[in-house]
Order: sequence, then C-alpha cells, then structure tokens
Amino acid sequence: MSWDTWKQGFSAWEKSTSSYVEKMLSNPGVLGPAAALLTAVVKTKTASDRAMSAWWSMWGLPTRNDQERSLHKLNQLESRLADLEEQLAATRTAARTQPEGR
Amino acid sequence: MTATPKKSPLDSLAALLRRAPKGPAVVGVTPHTVAWSENKWRLLRFTPTVKRHARPILFVPSLINRWYVLDLGPGRSLIEWLVAQGHEVFCIDWGTPGAEDRYLTWDDIGGRYLGRAVRVASRLGGTGDVHVLGYCLGGTLATAYVAAFPEHVASLLALAAPIDFDQAGIMALWTRTPAFDVGAIVDAFGNVPWQLMQASFQMLKPTMAASKVVGVLDRAWDDEFLESFLATERWGGDNVSFPGATYTRYIEALYRGNQLVRGGFSVCGRPVDLAAIRCPVMAVAFEDDHIVPIASAAPLIERVASRDKYLLGMRGGHVGAVVSRKAADRLWPSLAKFWAERPGTPTAS
Repeated sequence: MSWDTWKQGFSAWEKSTSSYVEKMLSNPGVLGPAAALLTAVVKTKTASDRAMSAWWSMWGLPTRNDQERSLHKLNQLESRLADLEEQLAATRTAARTQPEGR
Repeated sequence: MTATPKKSPLDSLAALLRRAPKGPAVVGVTPHTVAWSENKWRLLRFTPTVKRHARPILFVPSLINRWYVLDLGPGRSLIEWLVAQGHEVFCIDWGTPGAEDRYLTWDDIGGRYLGRAVRVASRLGGTGDVHVLGYCLGGTLATAYVAAFPEHVASLLALAAPIDFDQAGIMALWTRTPAFDVGAIVDAFGNVPWQLMQASFQMLKPTMAASKVVGVLDRAWDDEFLESFLATERWGGDNVSFPGATYTRYIEALYRGNQLVRGGFSVCGRPVDLAAIRCPVMAVAFEDDHIVPIASAAPLIERVASRDKYLLGMRGGHVGAVVSRKAADRLWPSLAKFWAERPGTPTAS
C-alpha cells in the first residue's frame, strides 16, 4: 500500500472519528459525569489544603493564602502608584498647555 | 525543467533527525524594547527603521498563550512583517501569573492593565490613539475594553475572538454543565492550571495529535514547513495558567451569562455595550476554527454602531490561519490594508 493511499485512509478515519467523538462529548450524559468527577477531585484537594492550612496557622505562622493576599496587595499598590503618576503627568501637561495668565 | 522527485515519510524522518541537534525553534526574536512593565505584564515596543504609518498598532494576545504567536520567528512573524511595512507595533506580554495573581480580576487585567497599555502606546506612538488588535480571548478583552473606554482607540480588529458565547461550541456546553463548578476549581488551584485548559482544548479535537504525526511524516522534508511546525508546536506547548478571579468572571459572565451579547457586562464599573463602539471595526473569523466558531466571532459586526465595519471570513483554523505561509499571503495583507487606510495624523507634543 502506498503512502498516499494510507493517508487517504487515515483522513477518512480521522474525519469519522472526530465527528463521532465530538457528538459523544456534546452529550450531556458524558459531560455531566465528567464535570461531576472533576468537581469531586478539586473539592477533595481544597479540603486537604484547608486542613493543612488550619494546622499551619494553629502555630501562628502565615499560611500560603496569607502570603498570596499580601503579595497581591503589594502589586495592587504598585498599580495605584502608577495610576497616580499617570494622573500627575496628565495634570502637568494640561497646566503647561494652558495659556499664561489663566 | 525536471519535476521534483516525490518525497516519502523516510525523507521526513531523515529531515527530523538532521534538525534535532539544532534544538527548539527560535521564536519572539523581532527586536523590541520594553515600554512598560507592571506586576507580571510588559508592553513590548517594536519600532520600524522608517515609520510609514503614523498610528501605532497594539496587539492584545490571549491570557492563556504566549504573545509570540504573532512573532513565530523570522519569516513567520506577523509583527516582523508589519514592522517591515513601516508600522510601529506594541504587544502585550501578559507574563506568567504567580500564585498571588489568583486574585487578579477581569477589571485589573481587562481594565487597568489593558487601559495602561492603550494609553502608553498612544502616547509613545505620537498620535494620541492606537489601532487595537485582539486575538482569541485577547479579542474579547479588547472588545469589552473598547466598548467601555473608547478613548485613545482609533480602530478595533478582533481576530478569532469569541463574542457570542451561546455559539461557542463544545466549550460552552462543557462550562454550562450544571456539575461544572468553576468556584471549586478556583478554590482548589488558585490560578486555573494550564494543563486543565490544554485538556479542554484537546477534547475539542481529540484526533489532533494523530493528525499532527501524519502531517509531519508527510511534509517534514520541507525545511520551511518543519521550522514553522516546530515554532507553532513550541508556542502551543508553552501555555500559561489563568488567573483565578478572572477565570471565574470569564466563565460565569461570558460563557454562562453571554453578557457581551445579552448585556450586563462591565469593566471597572463602566457598562460594556457593544453598540457603544463607534470606531472602525473589523472582525476576522475562520471556517475551520473549532475553538472559536464563526458563529461566535462574527456577531461583533452586527452589534457595533460603527459605520466603518466589516467581517472577513477566511478558510483555516484558529492558529494555522494566522501564522501559516498562507496567512502571510492572505490574512496579513488584509490586516495591513485595514490599518493603512486609517493612518491617523501625528499630534503636536
């Protein structure tokens, strides 16, 4: 069998398989259980992370969440400073372009 | 004239072996400077040797892929091509979110950061405004932003951008499944892992991996094809996790609520009404795009109030149609024409 003939066969298989799989994946009977399984797995992870975090904070130590929140606040602060610098620059430009005596 | 001898998969395998020692494809190498950086994102500036078009272009890429999809190496780069045409190009590099960025909201990214990029690019560009191009989710971010904050935006080009999420295919079905608990995913991971999103995309086209293998065996003997394939694969495998709070809003307000079309979406407190967009708008949609179907991308044109608007439908897929050799012949000149016809005039500074 030549490569070209094999490719034609593959192309036909690919077309019919992807159309079949697409139909299967669009089926609520497949999507529902898949989503439920994903949700169950992530909820288990959350529960174990929370238990670990509670144990950690029992010793008065900052948790991963505390550190993430603090870092986020610092980043927000940096952005607010950039906002203020922008506003200041805009005000200066406006003042420079205003005619004298006003 | 002699005909080119027919190549076989063995020639392709030999080419792959010859190519292997050279390492990964070279990407994102068009010379640029960093015009702004804040938190993890940067605004990259690509300056032409001779500027032939006054108004700069700002690229807004998707949050979950790297910016260099538009700069996939010499000869395959939309940015390189535009710079050679005399356009000044700015491109957002969203960077890699840290664990703390799970709290970044759509307003932070699609309002404050994007707004800053628009203002910085328009100031540095010298016309006081920019052409905005958003690709994929970057197009959704850009569209929502322009509807809420039209200042400094000369035109909007939405490239394969999902707008009508009722028409978003299997992804919409998946995220609308009642058992899909977006809050639980974000609680568990913070930022939504790229592996999870990659799996969703593979679900859209499960035979893709096999098709790629056959495609490579068929054409890897062609050096240009092989380099392009390796560059696209490098980009495709270099994904970014999705900031948790932004993901929650994306799924709940857009995938489930379809608020860009039905109304109710806002950016930084300003309502997003597509009918408020009055600047020139072009939407590009691709016939074989299984990630953003035409039916999801095209409605932008019906909904904006702009008089100067049009829809460009093209053959091809979500990525291939933007970065392939055919793109350089068909898509890129169409984009350049859109911008060249709206050049802008420099403002006195």
